[in-house]
Amino acid sequence: MTRTVVRAGGLTKRYGTFTAVDAVDFTLEENRIYGLLGRNGAGKTTVMQMLTGQIFPDGGTLDVFGREPAEHADVLRRICFIAESQRYPDSFKPSHVFTAAPWFFEHWDAEFAERLVHDFRLPLNRYVKKLSRGQLSAVGVIVGLASRAPLTFFDEPYLGLDAVARHIFYDRLLEDYAEHPRTIVLSTHLIDEVANLLEHLLVIDQGRILLDRDADEVRGSATTVAGGRAAVESFVADRAVIGRESLGGLASVTIDERLGQADRIRAAELGLELAPVSLQQLIVHMTGTDLRADPTEQEVAA
Amino acid sequence: MTAVIEQQTMNRTEPRTRFNEVWRVVRLHAVTPSVFFGIPWIILGGAWAVSMIVGIIITGASADVAEMGEGMRYSWAVLSPQWYLVAVGVQAIGMTLSFALGFGATRRDFWLGTSLMFGIVSLLNAVAIATLVQLEKATGGWWIGISMFDALWYGQNGWLVDFYTTLALQLLVLFIGASITTVYLRWRMRGMMILIFGAIALMLAAVALATFTESWPTIVEWLGGIGIVGMFTVVLGLAAFFAIGGYFVIRRATPR
Amino acid sequence: MDESRPIFIQIAEQVENDIIEGSLPEGSQIPSTNEFAAFLRVNPATALKGVNRLVDDGIVEKRRGIGMFVTQGARARLIERRRADFATEYIRPLIIEAEKLGIDIDELAGLLRAERINS
Repeated sequence: MTRTVVRAGGLTKRYGTFTAVDAVDFTLEENRIYGLLGRNGAGKTTVMQMLTGQIFPDGGTLDVFGREPAEHADVLRRICFIAESQRYPDSFKPSHVFTAAPWFFEHWDAEFAERLVHDFRLPLNRYVKKLSRGQLSAVGVIVGLASRAPLTFFDEPYLGLDAVARHIFYDRLLEDYAEHPRTIVLSTHLIDEVANLLEHLLVIDQGRILLDRDADEVRGSATTVAGGRAAVESFVADRAVIGRESLGGLASVTIDERLGQADRIRAAELGLELAPVSLQQLIVHMTGTDLRADPTEQEVAA
Repeated sequence: MTAVIEQQTMNRTEPRTRFNEVWRVVRLHAVTPSVFFGIPWIILGGAWAVSMIVGIIITGASADVAEMGEGMRYSWAVLSPQWYLVAVGVQAIGMTLSFALGFGATRRDFWLGTSLMFGIVSLLNAVAIATLVQLEKATGGWWIGISMFDALWYGQNGWLVDFYTTLALQLLVLFIGASITTVYLRWRMRGMMILIFGAIALMLAAVALATFTESWPTIVEWLGGIGIVGMFTVVLGLAAFFAIGGYFVIRRATPR
Repeated sequence: MDESRPIFIQIAEQVENDIIEGSLPEGSQIPSTNEFAAFLRVNPATALKGVNRLVDDGIVEKRRGIGMFVTQGARARLIERRRADFATEYIRPLIIEAEKLGIDIDELAGLLRAERINS
């Protein structure tokens, strides 16, 4: 029933001695919403640039709609890539972008685009270089949604968008996806905000895929156990520990395990606190350092 | 799964032929007409206005009109938009390629479409300038003896030669700007350095070769022999060289 | 939405609660997958999984071309299932906490009765 639209095998990209993407294998199935998650510089953008033919891989195989994407018009016309730092010609206003869009996206819905322009309160006749960061992001989001491309990539689409605008984006995305199913890849580090929109997760760190699983399997797959150090240690003794913090006689350990009723009762008997681990916290544990220390994200939150 | 493909085919808004994919790049360049048409003609119009004012002042000072016309023969005003068109060539690649790739154009179609746009612009400008030369001559220099278009090699060999030479020159300036930008996009600063120093070295070598073999008189004679039309055929050949070179370089170029 | 459990289970439980409380009577239509997705801001595939879980349990049934409806006897079945889980889900943790605080069974029973009158 479902069709594989992207198949990457040993996909590699190097910049000089730096390996940005290191022999990754993954597939993307048709009509699902993927989250491509990871820290800045993890390789998310590089992966998307290869998938959309913007850059050329240095190794491995890549198959998008049945063939290599770069320079293949029949593949590229089914793809829409909204880059984080998409550049527009200096002479362009948003109105020019939306005029040109239907020439390139055969499923372009002008009415939907108009409605989104209204929703985001985007000035159509201001030069693109004079737009604010959020308005610039809105241009990309509108193109990405209204193009209805069978394979759509949003690379950090919300930079500079306020909370209201971000929720408009999530709502319109879900609405339109329900009516016009397509494959969507959302790259972001505002993980908790989009977690529920995602069907499948790909977590990438230092050019490698750390996790490739359905969001439902991942949610609640980890638990933080907190309490007296001795009790915590005895409880987690045979379990896969992915994070550990301690303060004096207290310890807080995160285990990669969903706890059953019996375990919960045992933890309660030991006087331990159990707390669910959000997707964002889980990825923080997996990719090492705290994502919240990320300056870009603070900027977005502010 | 085939149902999905069929549905997509049915929903197409317009037929997708090869030409269409090239033509949409032309439309993309033309969506803001000021870049290719507006600004060059404002520059030319400005140069014309200045020439007119200068002409009126000189006539007002009751100078010799024939002498003035002779002086204006060496004015470069007619070529004023050409320098700007080099920048247009740079912009067409530097700014629009990244955007077109994001919209799913191939580099191949982008270059072909851009070349087609260059061709159309050069053709229109050549027709316009060659016609303005004739118009200027017919009105006796806009009724006050100005010769802005009827200058340099223009206005001496008829409309067709003026058309041909303008066409060749326009194509050359556009393709120089565009193809050099492709080198930057493919090899960045290192490529630009090699290109610039390579070109300088090559030119110096050619000059040295000509000097040591004492072939300057032969070269000057040859250039005189091929005449204006022959010289601009060399220009057209250079434009073709940059056009073809750019095509191969851009095929693996990566915009920032 | 609670972070600790898959969303589709939570969606199914929400519908079950509505059935038990009577706001979704037997034979009534439940919202469509897309309505759930839009309302809860979740992926439609997740909402579909939740609804399918209810179908598998025989709580709702699909009527082709119309939608999803609560089956006859769904409420009774749900109550029976919840009763079976009641002891482990609620009583057991209560007793553990009570023992920790030195509250014996009789005192606990007294507290339960008093709480019931107060509420």
